[in-house]
Parts: sequence; structure tokens; C-alpha cells
Amino acid sequence: MLDIEKKELMIQTLKNKVNKQLLYYLDVCARCAICRDACHQYKVTRDPKYIPAYRAELIRRLYKKYFSVLGKLFPKIYEAKDIDDEFLLSELYQVTYACTGCRRCMYYCPFSIDTLHILSVAKAILLSAGMENQILRELSDAAIMKGENIELFKDIFVTMLKESEPEIREKIKDKNAQIPIDKKNADVLYVALSGMHSILPAAIIFDKAKINWTLSMFEAANYGYFLGDSQKAKTIADRIVSEAKRLNVKEVIITECGHAYRVMNFFYEAWTGQKPPFKVSALIDSISRYIKDGLIEVNKNPSSEIVTYHDPCQVGRNGGFFEEPRYVINAITDNFRELTPNRTKSWCCGGGGGLVAIPEMDEFRIKTGEIKANQIKETEARIIISPCENCRLQLDSLNEKYGMDIKVKSMMEFVAENLKV
Amino acid sequence: MTEEIKADMELDLKGLLCPLPMVRVSQNITKVPVGGIIKAVATDPGSLADIPSWAKSTGNEVLKTEKVEKDLIFYIKRLK
Repeated sequence: MLDIEKKELMIQTLKNKVNKQLLYYLDVCARCAICRDACHQYKVTRDPKYIPAYRAELIRRLYKKYFSVLGKLFPKIYEAKDIDDEFLLSELYQVTYACTGCRRCMYYCPFSIDTLHILSVAKAILLSAGMENQILRELSDAAIMKGENIELFKDIFVTMLKESEPEIREKIKDKNAQIPIDKKNADVLYVALSGMHSILPAAIIFDKAKINWTLSMFEAANYGYFLGDSQKAKTIADRIVSEAKRLNVKEVIITECGHAYRVMNFFYEAWTGQKPPFKVSALIDSISRYIKDGLIEVNKNPSSEIVTYHDPCQVGRNGGFFEEPRYVINAITDNFRELTPNRTKSWCCGGGGGLVAIPEMDEFRIKTGEIKANQIKETEARIIISPCENCRLQLDSLNEKYGMDIKVKSMMEFVAENLKV
Repeated sequence: MTEEIKADMELDLKGLLCPLPMVRVSQNITKVPVGGIIKAVATDPGSLADIPSWAKSTGNEVLKTEKVEKDLIFYIKRLK
């Protein structure tokens, strides 16, 4: 049972989140159930709590209880629920943090109801009661701590970067190639992920394209966003914004990480009311431009293996990049075979929304990735490319579980491997 | 002479990409007693930032970090 103070806080949070957009979504849903078959989680589990309309229904029940006259007077008839209803809270937690935020349901909904928006309200309510997902909270706090304590890791991290430079020099036959850090007035600040797998291939491409770049000390991933805590998400993004301002760069290129690009390009301005004083680009778009502009050249048809492409939901449906990755793949191979369906109707792989980092979700996410695994098998491809870290981690899991016998690659890795030197 | 640190648990995190090394440490920290030590061996350089930052933000302590060829070895003490 929640104490009165927490309960009041949750009600107040819901009140603060009630706006025209939320009311429209809650009012307009016709329960047509088209969203049901658009959701990979329902489609695989057949558990009704994963139907997008039902996820929204949980918030609707709370709204009725506190903000609708009929719900207040006749809660049983109108299915209004108390905010401390344990069963409702348990379901709300499960369906909210299970949602990958793929927004496939929104594309199928005749009224374009954005379940992700409704679940952002659910996350805010859960956060206000301290009922948020623990590992996402720890990841967010660790990211903030990194920003405040660079000395914890900087020296050893820079040493490891320097040790990697000979590999770049060998690859592009350039003895001056390097991974610059803290370079003032660079044109580009590249924000990678934590590991070398997202630094080395990008460094090879930037150095070959003769880009005046520097590497960010911070990772692009923003677990504050997955947690649903916009304050923490903003603090995490601020590390990069401050670094970009300090180095006076013109452009910030976000690595192949769907949500990280969206945070920097769309949400940061919404949270702060300030437009960042630099251009924000997605690496997939930059690579495509470098090839179009002749800054890099790639080898055509290096092998006869069939290549397919998974549209990450945050890069494609939610980020708008559909043709850029296809342009790059087609520049390298004539053996490209699409998944069906693709682009706006692409199935989610099941790993987004931070699910790959939540151990208790492991079994669920691998099970609900079955549709994607079947799609991939149908192409008979031996290489799958996806410009999103969450997707790649999930595709690796699916590869193992469903015996797909496929190599999972990032776009930068695919391009760096096939770079003409 | 360097003092040997005796670990209560060893975690092989080689090959895991970030943030999974940190996630695995977090999952296992309550499996050692307060005052107990986890020896975690990772290979992703991102863990150099992730694990110490996680320890600091959760009130635990990284006693020592070693780099042995490509292995990154962390000794993490559970403080609470």
C-alpha cells in the first residue's frame, strides 16, 4: 500500500501531464484493435496486456478516477481505478518498461494514437513514486557521474585509444591518421558509444574522408530517456552539449544509435527551450553524404553474400532515415534483399527502449523477437546491417536463439570493411 | 610488492559490449556480502568509464583497475 504522500505525488504528476494531446488520445480510441496486430509483443505472446490500446487503458482508468465526474461518482461502472491499485500498478510497470517505443502501432492506428506518448505519462507517474526500473536508473546515474568525474577514466581511456591508432593507419595507409580528443575548433564532434566497436570504424571513415574531427569523451546512449526521466536525460545530454560548445565545433555527429540522435536533435530543444548552437547529424546520414560527395569510395560487390537491412525503429520510423542506409548498402553490393515489410511498417526487433540492458526482460525480448527472426530467415541473407546498437545486440541474441546463421554488422563497420584505399 | 586482492566472486565479462559489463556487476553485487569483493574481467574499453561511475553513483567502490593485455580487470567492493 502506498503512503498518502506518494499517492498525492502520483495524482499530481498525472494532473501535470494532462494536456490536449493526452486527452485526444484517451478520448479518440475506438477500441478497433488494429493496434493489436501491429504490436510484435502482443502478436507473439497473445497476452492482452501488451495490446497498445490496453496499455493506454491503464492510464485512462486513472484519469477517470481523478478527473472525470462519472468516474469519480461511479468508479465500478466506468472502470475508474485508484492510483494505488496494486494490480494496476504492477501491470502499468510491466507494459510500460516492456514497450520498445517502436511506434508501429501509431502507424497502423486510424487516429495515429501515440502509445509511446501515453507511456511517457506512465513512466512519469511511476518515477514520482520511486517505482521506476532500477537498472535504467543506475545506468542514468552512472552516465551523470561520468560527466562529473572524467578523471575517473580519462587517462586509461585515452591510452586505449592511442593503442588503437596503428590499426587505423594500417587500414587506410595513412601514417598521420589518429583518434583526436579535445581538439578545439574541430569541424565535427563525433559522439560514439562506450566501446571501440563504435569508435574504430567511424575513425577509419572520418580519417579517410579527411574530416577535421574530434571524439567526444562521452557516450551517445541516454538511459535517462529510456527511464522516462527528462531531467536526468537532459543532464546526460548536457555533457555533450557543453563539450561541443567548449570545443567550438560546427557539427555534432551522433553514432549509429537511434534514440541518441533523436534526443540531441529533437528532444534537447524541447526540454531546454534552446536550440543547440551546432548542427546535429546522424552518422548514417553523414556516411551517405561522404559517399555521394566523393569524400570516400567503396568497393563494389566484395562478395556474393546476400545482405539485408533492419530498419531500427528510432532511425527509420521515428528518425526519418529510410533511404540513406539503402543508398550506402546499394553502393557496396548488388545483393541487397529487403525484409518484408520494411520502412514505416518494419517489425521491431524487440530489443529497443533499453530492453537489451534490462536482465529481467531477456527471455521476453528474445521471445518477442521471433517475428523479426523469421523475417530475416526468409531473405536467406548472410549479413544483416542495422545502424542501432540496441538492435544489433538484440539481433545477436536472435541469431543465437533462432539459428539465423547471419553476421550482424553496423553500417560503419560494413563501410569501413569495404572502403577503397 | 603489490598486495593480492582476494575476490569473493569472479565475473567473466569478456566480449560483452557496454553497458552489459556494468549491468552484470550490478546484478551480482548483492550476491557478495557487504565488504565482499567482485573481480570482473571485461574487454570493452567503455567499461573503464561505466564501472567506476556506476560504483561511485551506487555507493560502492572500485578498489583497483588493471589492464593486462586486452583484459580490463576491476576489483569492486560492496559497501552497502
